[in-house]
Amino acid sequence: MFIYFKLNSIIIIYKLRLKIMIVMLIDRLKEVVGEEWVITGEDTELYSYPAFIPLKVNPPIVVLPGSEEEVIELVNLLNENNVKYLVRGSGTSLSGSTTPTQGEVVISLTRLNKIYSFEGYEITVGPGLANFMINKFLSTSNLFYAPDPSSYVVSSIGGNISHDSGGMHTPKYGTTFDSVVKLKVLLPDGSVDEIGGSNFFDPTSIFVGAEGTLGIILRATLRLFPRPEKSKTLMASFNSIEDAARAVINVFRCGVTPAAMEFLDKNSIIAIENTQYKANYPITEAILLIELDGYSENVEEEEVRVIKAIRESKGEIHVPKDEEEKNRWWWGRKGAFPSFAYYSPAYLTLDANVPRSTLPTILKFIYDISKKYGLPVANSFHAGDGTLHPLIGFNPKNVDETINAIRAAEEITKFAIKLGGVPSGEHGIGIEKIKFMKLYYSEDDLEIMRRIRNSFDVKGLLNRCKLIPPSKGEICNVVNKIHSYLLEGDI
Amino acid sequence: MYNLSLKLTDMCTHCGFCLETCPTYVVTRNEVHSPRGRIEAIRAGINSIGFQTCMYCRLCETACPAGVKYGQIIIPFRKSDLKKVIIEKLLENPKLFSKVLKYTNKIHHPDMERFRKFIKDYEITEPLENNDEGDIILFPGCIESILFRKTVENAFKLLSKRYKVRILNGCCGLAHISNGNYEGAKKLAEKLSREVNGKKVVTLQSNCAAFMKEYKELFGIEINSYDFAEFLIKESIEVPRINDTFTIHYPCHAYRQGLTKYIKELALRLGVKISEMEDPYFECGAGGDYWLSHPKLSDLVMKAKKEKIDKSGVKKVIVTNSVCALAIRSMGYEVFHLADLIFQSQ
Repeated sequence: MFIYFKLNSIIIIYKLRLKIMIVMLIDRLKEVVGEEWVITGEDTELYSYPAFIPLKVNPPIVVLPGSEEEVIELVNLLNENNVKYLVRGSGTSLSGSTTPTQGEVVISLTRLNKIYSFEGYEITVGPGLANFMINKFLSTSNLFYAPDPSSYVVSSIGGNISHDSGGMHTPKYGTTFDSVVKLKVLLPDGSVDEIGGSNFFDPTSIFVGAEGTLGIILRATLRLFPRPEKSKTLMASFNSIEDAARAVINVFRCGVTPAAMEFLDKNSIIAIENTQYKANYPITEAILLIELDGYSENVEEEEVRVIKAIRESKGEIHVPKDEEEKNRWWWGRKGAFPSFAYYSPAYLTLDANVPRSTLPTILKFIYDISKKYGLPVANSFHAGDGTLHPLIGFNPKNVDETINAIRAAEEITKFAIKLGGVPSGEHGIGIEKIKFMKLYYSEDDLEIMRRIRNSFDVKGLLNRCKLIPPSKGEICNVVNKIHSYLLEGDI
Repeated sequence: MYNLSLKLTDMCTHCGFCLETCPTYVVTRNEVHSPRGRIEAIRAGINSIGFQTCMYCRLCETACPAGVKYGQIIIPFRKSDLKKVIIEKLLENPKLFSKVLKYTNKIHHPDMERFRKFIKDYEITEPLENNDEGDIILFPGCIESILFRKTVENAFKLLSKRYKVRILNGCCGLAHISNGNYEGAKKLAEKLSREVNGKKVVTLQSNCAAFMKEYKELFGIEINSYDFAEFLIKESIEVPRINDTFTIHYPCHAYRQGLTKYIKELALRLGVKISEMEDPYFECGAGGDYWLSHPKLSDLVMKAKKEKIDKSGVKKVIVTNSVCALAIRSMGYEVFHLADLIFQSQ
């Protein structure tokens, strides 16, 4: 009881101190970035959460710097005053990594969206640039940027790097990790470092997926791939989930690495067919959308092998009759998440990554969980790399139902880990999956992570109480019942 | 209306897919001036400045995966003022508007100085009128009728070869709805419906046709409206061949309503070479009266638009909406309505 009281007092004093500090800081922040780029008052609520809906926390202040120099000056100012801060891009995080739970000042990097250079197979861009702007810029070139998370039309490169975003083309081209060459980072002590391009102790790797806990990405040099000469789309339909899951394994076994291999279950197909994304899919237990790309001869050979593997897995092959039908099939897949509105006004999106051989087992488990909690689920995911996306429907206006959905998500993620999977394939840990870190990593692993993080963020100001579970002595501001459940849950 | 708006916000999943289509977000990179931010402000009950900075192009709706009806959501949160009310009234009566403009255009006032940057005094004319009982209605549109009279004359002569044409000058109500004046827009729609009495209505401002096609959903009123290009294509009217290269701007509401395919098809039937600009549907920067009410943001959007037009490599732009034409020609391009191109080459 005494400890609880003491903790509460510390938090109240901290919050009070923060408020005074913020008021004193506003004018100085305005001096750095200009008055119109500092948001105070009610409008800060517009930065209270990204695309992770269950938890909203108002930041005390939002700043939108317009240059690298301004970001550096801002960080120095916040550092000097011991004010917590976090960095936000386009606000599309599905794991809540930019929800300012600890009362952080939000630094929005959306204005740092320049393309600095394009040379050879590399392009250098600002962190606020939306992913799709790169391929738009490269439209007349024979190169392309491969990582394509579903949010590519808006999600920022800084955010993609910080979450190691994947997408449909990961089986062949890898995640964002595989496309980062160099980074220019601002460390929490205010120093700027250009890292990457080294074969030894290359620190770019720990900035990929760091979710903004180690420093701020100011500039990124990214790897580009040559556009494939030929691309071919096939669709396979199945009368059972098990057959479809087996087909995924058999395709890889026949020596083919598809550019993309997407899985849609019956619930997803029905939802899509009832919305603007209608693709005229066969209404069947599951379909696989497969893309093969490369040199013509290669693609032709791969097609023969894939068709054989699918048929051996009791699948039926469908070939698009024209470009329009092909595009409609892929457009339908892109609409799988928003089409979930057919079942529910909101949903949680999980992204555990599992060995492909366990797909039949985990999918069955997901349907059982749906029944157990009485919540709708649909599965549309990147089968090619085993990244699941069970969507769990809930009503966000109902706290109990929200927690129920989180519980269902928890059971699925725990089972995925038990099957040899990882908690997050591409959306990041944030606050959504922080409790699973304790299941997947040992306490020693976590302690090493904390020590690495603390060696960068000495003062503990940068996006704390996310990604890495807090150590025993660490105080985290817990916003409400939902936040409390997200942090601890039934682990 | 507030309750309906709030209910419609339920569809928004806060995914942010709308952001990069929104002209004010593109130039500010600020959530306050974005569709997602505005919807969130409505949900949170915040009186955000973002409600008034919206250009009402509604391009966000074209990107929304959940089909959120942003255009309807924002209506009750748009503030009107005396100036806006006066402008609405004048748009409803183009003849009076032209007289007022002739007089006020000489006044030293920031608004009129801004106006003069886009329009020369001699361009303000009285609208073309006729009193015939037409088989079809030519609805030039409020600004088109008093600033681009030549285009109206050309379209009238063209259509008169095949039809008995009645000219109807007035406003479709898009300006009103953009200002949050739902009732004002509804009254205009009802008045127009009575006046056209089921006849085909051909507009010279593509956005008017687009808005008239929304009457049914918004007001339960149906008008048989066509954009000029749509009418020519659907009526299979033959057009001459033109040997020249243009780029095409897609007016925002016409784009959302799928009318720009007719504009492009008509241009192709004319035989012109089309050099595409980047994102031809991106807002031109005019935004109804936005270029007068929000000069700073409007100029930033025009700058972004100019960069996109420049990528076409040509200086001649097909623009079938009068305020878009004013914005685009102020960037240093020659603007052409399809009616002018057809008429001149006959």
